[in-house]
Amino acid sequence: MQIAEPLQIAIDELSKLPTVGRKTAQRLAMHLLKSNTKDVENLVRAIGDLKTKLRFCRICFNLSVDEVCEVCKNPKRDHSTICVVEDINDVMAIEKTNEYNGLYHILGGVLSPLSGTGVESLKIKELMQRLENEKIKEVILALNPDTEGETTSLYIAKLIKPMEIKVSRIARGIPVGGDLEFTDEATIGRAVLGRIII
Amino acid sequence: MILRSILLKNFRIHQNTQVEFSDGINYIVGGNGQGKTSILEAVYYLCTTKGYNSVADGEVVSFNETFFEVSGTFRDLTENNLRIYYTLEDNRKYFFVDGKQIYRASSIIGKYPVVILTPEDHSITQGSPGDRRKFVDSVISQSSETYLQILLDYNRTLRQRSSLLAQIKESRDRSLLDQLDAWSQKLVQCGSELIKHRIRFVSEFNGYVNDSYNLIMSSAEQPSITYEYLEGNSLEGNGQETGKIEEQFTLLLEKKRDDELRRAVNLVGPHRDEFIFRINNMELKKYGSQGQNKTFQISLRFAQFFYLKDSLSKSPVFLMDDVFGELDTYRAQKISGYLQNLGQAFVTMTDFSNYSYLSRNQDDYLIKVHEGQAAYG
Repeated sequence: MQIAEPLQIAIDELSKLPTVGRKTAQRLAMHLLKSNTKDVENLVRAIGDLKTKLRFCRICFNLSVDEVCEVCKNPKRDHSTICVVEDINDVMAIEKTNEYNGLYHILGGVLSPLSGTGVESLKIKELMQRLENEKIKEVILALNPDTEGETTSLYIAKLIKPMEIKVSRIARGIPVGGDLEFTDEATIGRAVLGRIII
Repeated sequence: MILRSILLKNFRIHQNTQVEFSDGINYIVGGNGQGKTSILEAVYYLCTTKGYNSVADGEVVSFNETFFEVSGTFRDLTENNLRIYYTLEDNRKYFFVDGKQIYRASSIIGKYPVVILTPEDHSITQGSPGDRRKFVDSVISQSSETYLQILLDYNRTLRQRSSLLAQIKESRDRSLLDQLDAWSQKLVQCGSELIKHRIRFVSEFNGYVNDSYNLIMSSAEQPSITYEYLEGNSLEGNGQETGKIEEQFTLLLEKKRDDELRRAVNLVGPHRDEFIFRINNMELKKYGSQGQNKTFQISLRFAQFFYLKDSLSKSPVFLMDDVFGELDTYRAQKISGYLQNLGQAFVTMTDFSNYSYLSRNQDDYLIKVHEGQAAYG
């Protein structure tokens, strides 16, 4: 098979992307070839900007254009509450809810001795500095409810305890709008154990 | 729950075997290596999606074949057809319920409870404490999905914690100790849940074992299971304060901390618990005869059957592999009579005529297996 080299390179590069196979890569490449120049240039710039214009916020390690991210800069947000999450995807998930108006802190992972992730490779030291320097009243731990996430929550909660700052962990249990009868047994079991008084 | 019929294709010696089952006892009879146990194994596959004794799926495929298939029809409130198909080429199993492919094996597991009694059960009473924990864990997990999840969480915590202990030992980095505290806290949280579940289980299960044992032996022998947890706590029978477990667990961890750091091993927790089986207050493993051990193993499986039946409100499938050969006539007769109480059961043996004292009802089946072919007798 003989294909013009630039097209072949484009297909090869596109097929490196997640969820994109060779056939899809070829279809995308052909689509781009047929698109007008302006659109293609915009796409190229958008992709390039991801690497050149974005960096990590100095305060919370969220993605940011400037040294400090939009969330940390926003005076309308509640600057006395920090929500601790594992990575940037979690920030996007919580932001989508429009329920949370405080600040974030992105750890960049969770404790896992098996994969060699310890305290020094997470942004825990930075979190503690923020708690000392900013006027924080509450820390919400929003880590995944798995073995490593829960242990990391326990670790951080213990560090914060002497500082007289309220620490909470997000609740886990039945999804909202979900049917009790269709929820798996383990989730219901845990939800019963973690019931709250109303 | 009743298994009406089963079809085996390229399953060990069975190239294409179709068997209809009785609602009562199905005696599966044949010489060595003719394919009796394979039928039980296939039933076990249907119920759990895997073989027992952790065999690899590939080993089950007949020689010179590329796939195996097991399908069967269960009757509960409705009739459901279950099919498992495995190919060597992709080394993958496919599951179908009533012709519809199921993508999560976990949605089948637990729906078709099964209890199996095999000669390997000797390790439950005579083997290591780990064998007894495995037995208890498997019975509770079958009745409680929550327990299984906590167990998985606990085992993961153990692995993480021992990895951290090894790092501390190697690097002598004292700053890692506060991370160890977090893992210890997590260990106490899920470990205590496991202990509480086990306490509740043992206090219920003792009654079931007692009933089964006495029905087989009808003598004055009194079996019991004692649960020993967190070094020095023991529970027999029922009723015990469970509130202080977290506290005790934490204290014991502190006491063993130096030892743990020196040896880089998790020394405290339910993974070191012991279940002691006794007959008339004599420890079975130390003082029990072969016959008492055997009887105890059988009682445990019968107890498991009735425990699951009560907690799941569903009769498990009962499988019994080659057990009569090891029993005296009196016990064999008793057990055979007791099987009639279970509903549907599957029993393998080498020769039925040798066991003329076994009870056989009109609706029990005698299935003769010879070189991978089944016939009725």
